[in-house]
Amino acid sequence: MTITPTIVSYLHLCHRKLWLHAHHLRMESTSELVAEGKLIGETTYPQRALKWQELDLGIAKIDFFDPKSNTIHEIKKSNKKSFAHNAQVKYYLYLLHKIGIAEPTAIIEYPKLRITKTVDWDTEEDQDLVESWINQADTIIKGTCPDRLQISKCKKCSYFDFCWSGE
Amino acid sequence: MKKSFYLFNPGRLSRKDNTLKFVPVDENVNEGQARYLPIEQVANLYVFGSLDANSALYNFLGKNGIGVHFFDYYEHYTGSFYPKEYLQAGQLHVQQSLHYSDPMKRITLAQEFINVGAFNMLKNLKYYQNRNKNTAEEILIIEELIKQINHTTKVDELMGIEGNIRQVYYSAFNKIIPTFPFNGRERQPPTDPINALISFCNMICYTACLDMLYHTQLDPTISFLHEPGVRRYSLALDVAEIFKPILVDRLIFSLVNKKHIQVKHFRNEVNACLLKESGRKIVMKAWDDKLTDTIKHRKLGRHVSYKHLIKLECYKLSKHLMSIEQYQGFKTWW
Amino acid sequence: MYIILVYDINTKRGGKMLKLCRKYLNWIQNSVFEGELTNIQLENLKADANEIMQEGDSLIIFNNKSKKWLNKEIIGQEKSSINNFL
Repeated sequence: MTITPTIVSYLHLCHRKLWLHAHHLRMESTSELVAEGKLIGETTYPQRALKWQELDLGIAKIDFFDPKSNTIHEIKKSNKKSFAHNAQVKYYLYLLHKIGIAEPTAIIEYPKLRITKTVDWDTEEDQDLVESWINQADTIIKGTCPDRLQISKCKKCSYFDFCWSGE
Repeated sequence: MKKSFYLFNPGRLSRKDNTLKFVPVDENVNEGQARYLPIEQVANLYVFGSLDANSALYNFLGKNGIGVHFFDYYEHYTGSFYPKEYLQAGQLHVQQSLHYSDPMKRITLAQEFINVGAFNMLKNLKYYQNRNKNTAEEILIIEELIKQINHTTKVDELMGIEGNIRQVYYSAFNKIIPTFPFNGRERQPPTDPINALISFCNMICYTACLDMLYHTQLDPTISFLHEPGVRRYSLALDVAEIFKPILVDRLIFSLVNKKHIQVKHFRNEVNACLLKESGRKIVMKAWDDKLTDTIKHRKLGRHVSYKHLIKLECYKLSKHLMSIEQYQGFKTWW
Repeated sequence: MYIILVYDINTKRGGKMLKLCRKYLNWIQNSVFEGELTNIQLENLKADANEIMQEGDSLIIFNNKSKKWLNKEIIGQEKSSINNFL
């Protein structure tokens, strides 16, 4: 199973969501939040696409990559799940590093909050960390479907109705 | 909150400026005022009148995941335009096939459909028992028959019990809706008003289940209770088993008892009784209201529409097939 | 949510705006639309409208949580029904 940046982000959010996603049980198309995130990405910086390129890594597509400074830009709506955003971006950096891009950096932008956050790549520290995530994700995918989180943590998840529909 | 649109008027539907344009046409081929249907608000289309359309329209509908259900002059369901599936899950698909081919796994699911369908039928009878209709005898017999369900080992045998349950259940209809005499179920063709109503509404229920299956990763052609191939999308028949008593039968009781549907809404053909267009419109309107009507869902803690309840049922089936959670069908509690 | 949308826009761009609104909402009379949209549909509609609009153009959107809270009275001729039974 190929570990995608989405899977790495779910590893930090909900293991059940990770498992379902990896088994192609996906809800994204009906999810308002995901659609909204996409819209922010598309409409916030319409002029940006001209300056920077889209970078296809095979398992993931980076929307904004600046080849001069080896910087990627990731746009997110809210910083509530910022640890998951961090992890996702670290994984992008890991992939960039692997294909020989020197000293990649990432900037996470929260345009609605007017906050930006820089994430750097430190091979010594980060390589092992990211590889441990890959292993963890792999183990989860190979196992049985993990349990649900507490219902209070699920309310905004696109899988809410899937997970909590019983009887 | 996308809606179903029902096309009774003959006319031409086309793709225009990335949305839908409907131009009604009368008997003398005069075109009426065009009406644009906002593509973003269309869940699916039901076509009752004759419709003029081209492949550009169907390509456009397909791209937007909009299904179309067709009915002929005799209000028989003739088929659906089922857009290319956009959700696929290989492993679920494999599991679905395995649950069909393993007799133990298959019968477990089939039994659950019948158990829950019968439970929901009993609920209807008990509701009317509390409203001074004497359905006690039928309730007793059905309760006895339900006990046999879990002892079955073959789907044929299970279907036999299901047939018996339905026969008893339908025999109570004369007490619940005494306006129209009803001497049991006759399908092809229906020969009295109640049979006409049941046939028509069951088909509509099937299409509603099919619409919801489309928005999940389940394969609508692999079923457990009904033999795949009985109809193209036989899983929709399985799911409909649970919802027919809740949606179809309750709708019929209320339409007839409130006199919204009367003798004048039917026409008799040779050896067949059919709903007139006026009657069909009344039924479809009531059906549409019913599907968008909401109930408070006990597990989810919020109001959900009946339409969404069908989708939740599809989720639960997926969970069962992926060994996440044992399937328990939806039982009414009111 | 339930939307009433009205626009007052230069005739040069009126056609584009009309076509855009028809994708999302029901036309009820000149430059006026109504219908049920989700948040994200409304955001998409606004983003698309912004691309069309220029200085001097105006678009007003009334929204309500549900159609239930809205009374509608038509005086004179109803230009177009919004019924889903055709």
